Amino acid sequence: MRQDSVVRVDKRVEDTAMVWPHLLVIEFIAAMLWSIGLFVISAAFNAPLQDHQTPDCTPNPSKAPWYLLNLQELLLHMDKGLAGVVVPTLWLVFMATIPYIDRSREGVGIWFTSKNGLRITIFAAAYATLLCFSLILLDAFLKAHGYIEFASEYFPGGKQLLPNYVIPIVIMIGLSVLLVIIVQRIWDANTREWMIAIFTGFISVYLVLTVVGTSMRGPGMDLFTPWSVPATSQCYAPHG
Amino acid sequence: MLEIPAQIWQRTKTSYIWRSLFRHGYPDSRKNQSLAVFTNVFLHLHPVKVRRHALAIPYTWCMGGLSFFLFLVLTLTGTLLMFYYRPTTEWAYSDIKDLETVVIFGQLLRNMHRWAAHGMVITVFLHMIRVFYTGSYKPPREFNWVIGTLLFFFTILLSYTGYLLPWDQLSFWAVTVGYEIARATPFIGDEFSFVLFGGFQLGPNALLRFYVLHVVALPLAVGFLIAIHFWRIRKDGGITGPL
Ligand code: HEM
Repeated sequence: MRQDSVVRVDKRVEDTAMVWPHLLVIEFIAAMLWSIGLFVISAAFNAPLQDHQTPDCTPNPSKAPWYLLNLQELLLHMDKGLAGVVVPTLWLVFMATIPYIDRSREGVGIWFTSKNGLRITIFAAAYATLLCFSLILLDAFLKAHGYIEFASEYFPGGKQLLPNYVIPIVIMIGLSVLLVIIVQRIWDANTREWMIAIFTGFISVYLVLTVVGTSMRGPGMDLFTPWSVPATSQCYAPHG
Repeated sequence: MLEIPAQIWQRTKTSYIWRSLFRHGYPDSRKNQSLAVFTNVFLHLHPVKVRRHALAIPYTWCMGGLSFFLFLVLTLTGTLLMFYYRPTTEWAYSDIKDLETVVIFGQLLRNMHRWAAHGMVITVFLHMIRVFYTGSYKPPREFNWVIGTLLFFFTILLSYTGYLLPWDQLSFWAVTVGYEIARATPFIGDEFSFVLFGGFQLGPNALLRFYVLHVVALPLAVGFLIAIHFWRIRKDGGITGPL
C-alpha cells in the first residue's frame, strides 16, 4: 500500500540551524533591503498615467501590460482564440501535471539535476530562442510578400484553416516533439531530462515573445528593430 | 548610571503585563529560541529548526519569501489606495489624479503599489524557475507545485485586473486587448466575456467587476492559496535539499 504524504516526508538527521536567529535575520534583512529599494524606485519613477479614457481615440499600437505581451505577440501568428486562450490554458494544465509525469526522486534539490541536465537546459534554450525568433521573422517576411493573399487564393480553407490553425498547431507540437527526440538521441534523456528540455523551451519562447512584443512592435504591430520603433501615436481616430 | 535602565528593563520583564504577552525569556538560549518561534502566531509559519542548506541564498534566491513580502506590501498599499479611489467612470480617473496632486504622499503610494505589482510578477516567475530546475516539485511536493501553478495564474490576473482601474487611455486600451482575447474563446467567447466584463464593451460594469475582483476576490484566493502553500511546505518536510 502507498503511504500517505504525511508519512512520506523526507526528514533526515542533518546539520540544522535554529530559525531564531539564523533564518529570521536573513528574512529581516531581505525585507529591509527590498523596502528601501521599493521606496527609492517609487521616489524616482512615477507610475504612468495618460489622458482620461476615450473610446474615440485608439492608440496605435495598443498594447497589453508587458507580462501579457507574449500572448499578444502570439496572436499575430495564429487564430486569436488559439493563441490567447487555448495555448495558455493547455500550457497551465500541462505545467500542473509535470510532477505527475516526472515522478522519480532523482536529483531533488540539485540545480539541473546533473551535468546532462545543465547541457540539455543550454541546448533547449538555444534551440527554442533561435527557432522562435526565426519563425517570427519568417512570418513577418511572408506576410510582407503577399502570403495572406496567396493563402486566400490557393490554400484549401483559404486564409483561415491552414495559416491560422493547422500550420501553427503543427509547428508548436512538431517542434516540441522534435526537441524531446533530439535530447533523447543525444543525451539518452530520461523523463526528468526531457521535462527540463520542454520546460526550458517554453520559458525561452515565453521570454522571446515578451521581448519581441515589448520592444520590437510599433504602429500596426509591425516588426521593427528595438532601436527604431516609432513612438506610439496617441490618438488614432479611424473615422476622424 | 546604567543601573537605572537595567532596573527598568528588569521590572518590565517581570511585570504582569509583559508576562501576559510573552511566555518566554529573551531568545538567547535554545529553549527560548524555540519558544519564541512556536508561541508566536506570525513566526510559527516556520519550524523551530531548518536545515542549514535551506538558508543558502544561491539555492532559493529568496524568491518565494520575497513574493510573499511583495504580496504583503501590495495588501497594505492597496488598502490605503482604497481610501481614495472610487470605481466608477465618473470618479476613477480624477481620484487617481487627486492621488498624484492633492493627497500627501499619494503619488509615492501609487508608485509603490504599481512597482511592487510588477515586481511580484517577476519574483513569482523566478521562484517558479528555481523550483523547477532544483527538481523541487518531485514527491512528496507534487501538490504544492499545483498550488504554485494556480498562484502564478492568479498573480497575473491580479496584476491585470488592477491595470484597468486608473481608467486612462493606457489602461483602457491595454485591457481592451484582453477583452478581445476573451471574446475569441472557442465556443463560449461571448458568454465568457459578457460575464467577465459585464457587457459587450468596456464600460462602468467592467470597471466595477475588475475592481471587486482586484480588491476582494483575487486577494482572498491568493491569500488562501499562500496559506495552503506554506502549510504544505511544512508538511512536506521543509524545503528541498540534496537527498
Ligand atoms: C504568490 C506566489 C508564491 C509565494 C508567495 C510562494 C512562496 C513560497 C515560499 C516562501 C517557499 C519556501 C522556499 C522558497 O522561498 O523558495 C515556497 C516553496 C515552494 N513553492 Fe512557492 N510561492 C509562490 C508561487 C509558487 C509557484 C508559481 C510555484 C510553482 C509553479 C511554487 C511552487 C513551490 C514549491 C514546489 C515549493 C517547495 C520548494 C522546495 O521544497 O524546495 N510556488 N514557495
